[in-house]
Amino acid sequence: MTKMDKAGLGPIELEVIAGAVRSAELEIEAAVERTARSPMIRDQHDYRVALFDAKGRKLTGRSYSALVEPVFEYFGADDINEGDVFFWNDPYNSAGGIGHVPDLCTTIPVFHEGRLVGFSQVFGHHDDVGGSVPGSLPVHATDMWSEGLVVPPIKLYERGVLNKAAYAIIGRNSRLADHLEGDIDAEIGAARLGSSRVVAMAERYGADVLEAAFDAIVENCAETLRRELLPKIADGVYHWEDYIENDGVDAPRLHALRLTMTKTPEKITLDFSGTDPETKGPINWPIDYSEGRFVRKWMAPVLRSLADTPERAAEIDMNEGVLDVIDVVFPGKGTLVTPTFGRPTGMRFFILLRALGVFAACLSKATGGRMPADHETIRIWGLHGNAADGDFYLFREVLGGGGPGRPWADGSDVVHIVPNSRNLPAEFSETRYPIRIERLGLNQDSGGAGYRRGGLGYDKRVRVLEASTLLSNADRAMLNTYGVNGGGPGAPYAISVEDPAGDVREVAGMADGIEVKAGSVVRIVTTGGGGWGDALRREPALVCRDVESGLVSADAARERYGVVLACEDGAWRVDGAATRNLRAGMAARRGPLPLFDRGPYFEARKAEGGIAWPEGWQDPDAAWRAEPVEATMDAAE
Amino acid sequence: MGLRIAIDTGGTFTDVVAIDEADGSRYALKTPSTPADPSIGLLDGVRKAAEAAEQGEGAVARLLHGSTTATNAVLQHQFDGLGLIVTEGFRHVIEIARQSVPDGYGNSFFWVKPPRLVPLHLVREVKGRMTHRGEELEPLDEQALVEAAGELARRGVRCIAVCFLHAYANDDHERRAGDLIARHHPELFVSLSSVVLPEYREYERAMTTLIDVLVKPYCQTYLRTAAERIGAGEGGAPFLIMQSNGGVVRHATAGERPVTMLLSGPAAGVLGAVHMARLAGFEDVLTLDVGGTSTDISLVEGLKPQLTSQSLVEHYPVKTPMLDIATVGAGGGSLAWIDDYGALKVGPESAGADPGPICYGRGGTRPTVTDAALVLGRLPGQLIGGELALDAGAARDAFARLGARFDLSPEETAAGVFEIAAANQVHGIRQVTTSRGREPGRYVLAAFGGAGGMFAAEVAAFLAIGRILSPPDPGNLSAFGLHVSDIKRDYVRTLVRQQANADAGEIDGAWQELERIGKAEVMAEGVAAERIRLRRSADVRYVGEGHEVPVEIPPGTEGVAAVETMWSAFHRVHFDAFGFDYEGRQDVEAVNLRVQVTGQVDRPAAHEVAQGGAAAPVSSRPVYWRESGWVDCPIFRREDLGAGERLDGPLIVEEYGSTVVVPAGWGLACDRYGNLVMEKAR
Repeated sequence: MTKMDKAGLGPIELEVIAGAVRSAELEIEAAVERTARSPMIRDQHDYRVALFDAKGRKLTGRSYSALVEPVFEYFGADDINEGDVFFWNDPYNSAGGIGHVPDLCTTIPVFHEGRLVGFSQVFGHHDDVGGSVPGSLPVHATDMWSEGLVVPPIKLYERGVLNKAAYAIIGRNSRLADHLEGDIDAEIGAARLGSSRVVAMAERYGADVLEAAFDAIVENCAETLRRELLPKIADGVYHWEDYIENDGVDAPRLHALRLTMTKTPEKITLDFSGTDPETKGPINWPIDYSEGRFVRKWMAPVLRSLADTPERAAEIDMNEGVLDVIDVVFPGKGTLVTPTFGRPTGMRFFILLRALGVFAACLSKATGGRMPADHETIRIWGLHGNAADGDFYLFREVLGGGGPGRPWADGSDVVHIVPNSRNLPAEFSETRYPIRIERLGLNQDSGGAGYRRGGLGYDKRVRVLEASTLLSNADRAMLNTYGVNGGGPGAPYAISVEDPAGDVREVAGMADGIEVKAGSVVRIVTTGGGGWGDALRREPALVCRDVESGLVSADAARERYGVVLACEDGAWRVDGAATRNLRAGMAARRGPLPLFDRGPYFEARKAEGGIAWPEGWQDPDAAWRAEPVEATMDAAE
Repeated sequence: MGLRIAIDTGGTFTDVVAIDEADGSRYALKTPSTPADPSIGLLDGVRKAAEAAEQGEGAVARLLHGSTTATNAVLQHQFDGLGLIVTEGFRHVIEIARQSVPDGYGNSFFWVKPPRLVPLHLVREVKGRMTHRGEELEPLDEQALVEAAGELARRGVRCIAVCFLHAYANDDHERRAGDLIARHHPELFVSLSSVVLPEYREYERAMTTLIDVLVKPYCQTYLRTAAERIGAGEGGAPFLIMQSNGGVVRHATAGERPVTMLLSGPAAGVLGAVHMARLAGFEDVLTLDVGGTSTDISLVEGLKPQLTSQSLVEHYPVKTPMLDIATVGAGGGSLAWIDDYGALKVGPESAGADPGPICYGRGGTRPTVTDAALVLGRLPGQLIGGELALDAGAARDAFARLGARFDLSPEETAAGVFEIAAANQVHGIRQVTTSRGREPGRYVLAAFGGAGGMFAAEVAAFLAIGRILSPPDPGNLSAFGLHVSDIKRDYVRTLVRQQANADAGEIDGAWQELERIGKAEVMAEGVAAERIRLRRSADVRYVGEGHEVPVEIPPGTEGVAAVETMWSAFHRVHFDAFGFDYEGRQDVEAVNLRVQVTGQVDRPAAHEVAQGGAAAPVSSRPVYWRESGWVDCPIFRREDLGAGERLDGPLIVEEYGSTVVVPAGWGLACDRYGNLVMEKAR
């Protein structure tokens, strides 16, 4: 950049405006958290915010967001005015930006001296927007209308005047109207705050400078991807697929999400052709709108894992600039990602996460296995019933899982993909609900073995003090999280009930209405992260530390890592000679290590012929081998 | 009568402000800090202060001390020798933490969890269980406890934290554990969660307890050594230590629960600013303490600094009540640089004290904000009373090189760097005000620290703030703040009770118990009963919410009336904090009961300046502004400005250790206490 471009933008203006955009994103988030009411938003942080320029290009970069395109599609340029508040949640009329109906989206245009200079937007996951069950996430839904009130893009405010009829209808359709109306007001207030920050910059530097700065902010993101991340990906065509296990309606089966990634020097094209048909149940994800802008922006942050360090990865903003380097191709109507109008979508978060995983796996193929392994971080379990005093209670917990092993570190234990989401302290849960937490622990050996081990999942045991009803919404209850570059798979999710007589009953990942007797113990085991790299190359001292800590058993140390340990007086040490012998023998016996390890359930299904590929597809794992650990580590240095 | 000496130990310099009780005269000076053995720097400070006042060291009547010692112990990651004993089933409590990943969406792919304070193999479980109501479900397995402590000791553990589930509701098991460990292993340092933080939420309580015991050996040794060398403390002059809650306690008390010293560094500055704001007649103040590497920000309403119990030291939660101060990595030493993509950046990396800015001539080669200020003529050619001559030529050369990349002149570049640095502070302030639902424009910006006066007007312009307070001797305001700190201790107990079926007598009884303990402990600090003030408050929320808000009970409201006030006042406090309430629609729940006990100290008499009104500039020099270019500005010396003085910018006021920049469009007035108040012309 030189002193000033045509608009009068120089490095000083650009840095101050870029900083103001970043700061405004944090401020909008702070305002949402301060004033919203749904616990899903306040405590689980399930909301997203963004600023856009006048063309609807996303400027903020910490997080994904919904889109502004519905405003342009539904309203003419002369119908976007100061004081308008646009509003929608319709998964089939949001340009692909809103995936399920609990996510109500608020968008306001930003004006400076009568000129449209941008948009400010907030959407949150609301407690209840009607539909067939409290919480508006019916597991067994067979259409969108049973999931809650659907609002196509409307103006909730027109030039500052509230559309009282629409507001009343929206409130009337929620079981928690107070919460919902409070949330909407909070989101509008927060979006307005973001708007005022954009206006302040326009006042300081002028709207022309502001627009030029926005252009530069978007271009800088594209440039960062082109210069820093794309060169690390080998050109070529790569396929991969992964599966959702259960649509909540039909019997569990593997629903495949298929991806073909084509990498050229300038671009990545993501093609979802071959993906399995849409389902009766709510695991559909309608994203084939508006040139796939939503899903391109949703997927792009996966590339950050290719940054030189995790610290650098956290710095890289992902805004509209990603569209310059990522294209998308969809199959025809009627697949999981191109469902026909009206199909249910409530549980689409499983496929959202799978999409990140298939992209990461294609990148692993194209980078000699340098990407993180798999992790599954969202599932809900809960109990409801009537407490001793007769009051209805609903205890609902969103539990994380083990993070992925990656070249630079072991996976972090029990993490959640939503930033700053928090679990419930035992001392809170016991005070509020008729339960006792008997174990709040990590699940030994759940992390996939590897040169860098997968993070551990939970092993939580909860004694139920009053007769109660159990629910579970979880994927990866059959399949493991996959290991990468020779790393082993992470353990799957499991939930079981031990009744007072000692009988243990396994519960399916997607279940509700399970009656639980007073005095029973519910055990919830969440997924471990996949491992990364050859476990036989893991430093024996690290394996010893894991065993001493109890994260890995001595048996697993021997069987998965080939490390022989001795324990004297509670202190563990490595038997070096025995370890070398054991590892040499194990290495000689095994074949070449695969690039991906999807775990025993998948292998068994595959062996029995239970995995089929559509025409033109082949086994995407076949013939892909792990690179030696050194190759990757040397390249990193 | 004697000398009161306040010593504020920072990373590089130790600031000293001494006040003679006899005539109120003040002495301010600096001495180098001695991080290897901080008691040496402390002792130097005392000696120099006594010399400056021409008195013997025996004249010390009171020694007040603020220090970053405890914080540094954590920041240096010296976690060796730490062990943890928890309730059976909870061995992974600090590994699991709250399952949170910070920052952006999807960072779980690459984020690496920071090291835990205690490796898992040094965490032990012991049987014994309380309910949330404090009933014993299962007795403590005493033998297992003694074995666990013994095993940890054999593995080199020197400091043990004990955190049992629901210990806030019933501390019997923890106290028993403490007694048993003391008896069998008197060599170990022990902290009990029910003593450090009797509040619910097991992870945060365990972490706070661990940090307490982590810094205990160091703090106790340091404070004891310092007291011995100075002859203060027991039998000598009171030796009072600053805590993060904005109060002081005797050094022996501080050593018992050293977690309260953590992050106390910036607290004294806020107290000093509040004291001067009161004299200047202001109520609502935004404090801006600009140092070399960072800027500390806090919001003060009604002259009351706000407390928070949500602090982090690095990644680790510390839930003891602290003054609510946010820190931004932007200060006078922040480096200006160009990133790989050609963007002009300022900070967060700082040149620190060594090598420091280029213009200090100590080997610094990278331009800093201080260098920019010099290039712009906002700083004089020499600093600190003429002791340090600044190399303006070298600074200008550096900005010429930096600006060449953008085809900008050295002064345009320097002005831009200054603007970016101010914007970075502004972003930090916005996070503080927005997360509390406040608009900064209605506050007075109290700017201090070495570089506060240089930045204030630039920051105020971004925030539409119209008034700026520059207290006298702004570089020493933190040390001065120690002189106006009361003895202060906080007491808390978790008692979760819903309004619909609460027993007001039970809640009042719990408060009374805290008051009884607190009063006795503060009297033991040497405070007379009539100087003790008790302040009740509670953390209250709507049933079903995860957030509590602090409800203060006004003084004079006692007994069960205080309980009634708590329920009724809550809705207004909630509205103020979050913009809504559910009065009459949703049940209310008390969570934590708190009592703050204050032992009021006599303040030093307010220092007044002479009548003024006819100050003349000592010189003038060209100063560069982005809007107007080079403008010849009069330079005033602060000591020449008397009460009633009124001047119009642009001008610059210089004093020992600090510079106040008054741009065009701002007026400047001096009050009788030497406060400079800048006001923007309408």
